[in-house]
Amino acid sequence: MLKTAKYLLVWLLFLAVLSVSLLACEADETKTNLPAEIIDQLGRTVKLEKPPERIISLAPSNTEILFALRLGERVVGVTEYCDFPPQAKEKEVVGGFSTPDIEKIVSLSPDLILATSMHQKSVIPELERHNLTVLALAPKTLADILESITLIGRASGHVDEAKELVEKMQARIDRVKSLTAGLSLQDRPTVFYIVWHDPLYTVGGDQLHNEVIELAGGENIFGDISGFPTVDLEVILERNPGVIVTSGGHGSAENSPLKWATSEPRLKVTEALKRGSVYEIDAETIGRPGPRIIEAIEAMLRFIHPEL
Amino acid sequence: MTIEDSGHSHLAKIVWERVIYRRRRLYAVAGLFLLLWLAIGLASSLGSAQVSPVMVWQVLLSLLPGLNLSSNIPDTVVTIVLDIRLPRILLAGLVGASLATAGATYQGLFRNPLADPYLLGIAQGAGLGATIAFLLPFSLAATALGLIPVLAFAGAILSAGIVYAVARVGKTVPMTTLILAGVALGAFLASITSYLLVSSGEQLHSIVLWLMGGLSLSHWGEVKILLPYILVGSLIIHLYSRPLNIMQLDEEQAQQLGVNVERVKLILLFAATLITAAAVCFVGIIGFVGIIVPHAIRLIWGADHHFLLPLSFLGGASFLILADMLARTVMGTAEVPVGIITAFCGAPFFIYLLRKRKRVIF
Repeated sequence: MLKTAKYLLVWLLFLAVLSVSLLACEADETKTNLPAEIIDQLGRTVKLEKPPERIISLAPSNTEILFALRLGERVVGVTEYCDFPPQAKEKEVVGGFSTPDIEKIVSLSPDLILATSMHQKSVIPELERHNLTVLALAPKTLADILESITLIGRASGHVDEAKELVEKMQARIDRVKSLTAGLSLQDRPTVFYIVWHDPLYTVGGDQLHNEVIELAGGENIFGDISGFPTVDLEVILERNPGVIVTSGGHGSAENSPLKWATSEPRLKVTEALKRGSVYEIDAETIGRPGPRIIEAIEAMLRFIHPEL
Repeated sequence: MTIEDSGHSHLAKIVWERVIYRRRRLYAVAGLFLLLWLAIGLASSLGSAQVSPVMVWQVLLSLLPGLNLSSNIPDTVVTIVLDIRLPRILLAGLVGASLATAGATYQGLFRNPLADPYLLGIAQGAGLGATIAFLLPFSLAATALGLIPVLAFAGAILSAGIVYAVARVGKTVPMTTLILAGVALGAFLASITSYLLVSSGEQLHSIVLWLMGGLSLSHWGEVKILLPYILVGSLIIHLYSRPLNIMQLDEEQAQQLGVNVERVKLILLFAATLITAAAVCFVGIIGFVGIIVPHAIRLIWGADHHFLLPLSFLGGASFLILADMLARTVMGTAEVPVGIITAFCGAPFFIYLLRKRKRVIF
């Protein structure tokens, strides 16, 4: 009798230990890093209790990151410009880039909204007034982009996916860096990036595009000014770029910066036209601070340094 | 001295005064003509690219037959001077001249100091035409003309035509009705343009910059197309200087003095509209030139249209050339829309003139 009781006790203890450890395991899987307090890229403190199930993205770059982190199913709202990946186009549209429809957002009952610096002044306060959780991303550099991926990973509980993505991207960036870091100034061709041809404007030294160009081993001829300045044709001739990269995907083929760059007679005297180094890069790939920026970097490397 | 003697000397005095009057104004025309060349020279020497004025003049002087001073100058500099700056300066001159001339004409026709070339809804018509052209999915692959100038021109001419047709009462066109119809149509067209702007998406920046007026990316093709319109239109207007002078009196009085008022109105409106539409369709809506330049000329040299018109033509050309030069250079490599410069510089200068010449009553 006592022996059976002992066996029973041992069994019970064993089961208890097993179930507790199993429970603990399960708790690990569902809770991962959350609840947590995350500081977003606008310096705001965001509290998250559990992994969000209904996520709204207010920017195409954030949408791309969400899908890349395998959170696509949890996305319930995107902007009208969110076109990548193709599954994003099937999601409910909550507005334009700077004009999200607050009513629509609220009606979708999101438990996490990914915003950008553009929403800082009016949209985020409005969303907060409705007691919605907002995580703001404001990447200005490549490092910021990688950080934003990590932040979204932490906020959604997909920390491992984020880590994997960041590592992959970093590896590709490092590969490009190893090819171009040792180049001297003479070996770095001057690049003129055309955002649009009418009015003619380009990117300044403080923009993401500039970092992409420099990483790819080029020098932006307008690296000395900031923002997206309109520039005079004569300055372009004066600075004589060796490579011209135009932004594509907007307007028609006839009315595109590429068409203008190849047909404007006054550009024929530049190095770039003489060498035939005029290229087009998709505006969204280089312009969106998301996972595809690495494709833009690699494309830029091929344009600027076809020999590498 | 007998009565006859004093009568003769009085007559002689009047004749002599007229001679002096005319001579002064002819000097003024010569003077402004010279000023125009100086403006062209100055504007060619300055720009956002650091090209030394010496090189600029080497290139320019080599245009004269027999002179070749530019053999050692790089291709890029030659292109900058001859294909970027020079057409832009000449275009600025033509646009300034036409806006000032049209402004003087409208002010004479309406006998209203607030009249400017955009009175008949022309600015809004051109603006709407251009906006539609920006938003259409296709563009005209025609020589120097794009879809934008063509639709802007059409918009301007159509609005003027509609305003004229609406304001017509039988065989006459009362000027006040014309102004009111212009205001009404202008407001209507502007509202349509605003709606299109709101739904324009990524084209918004381009359209707004066009509407503010600017001369970047001007090329010789535009100058060549614009030149005949401006010259012919301005010449027609100048030929009607005398009727314009007479019409400064009441319209009835002018009619009694032998002026076919309705026909003169129609021709002058048409010519002034034509040159304004032609100017605006390439460069957008540049304000202040059409109202300030004719007034300044009038304040200094009087309202005789025989002189007012050519002086406005020359003055307007120099004014816009210099304003555009500032627009290109004042902010380094970035460009300020020239309409801001014309307003900024023109308005205070105008106020100064008004204060200085208090005798003039409008």
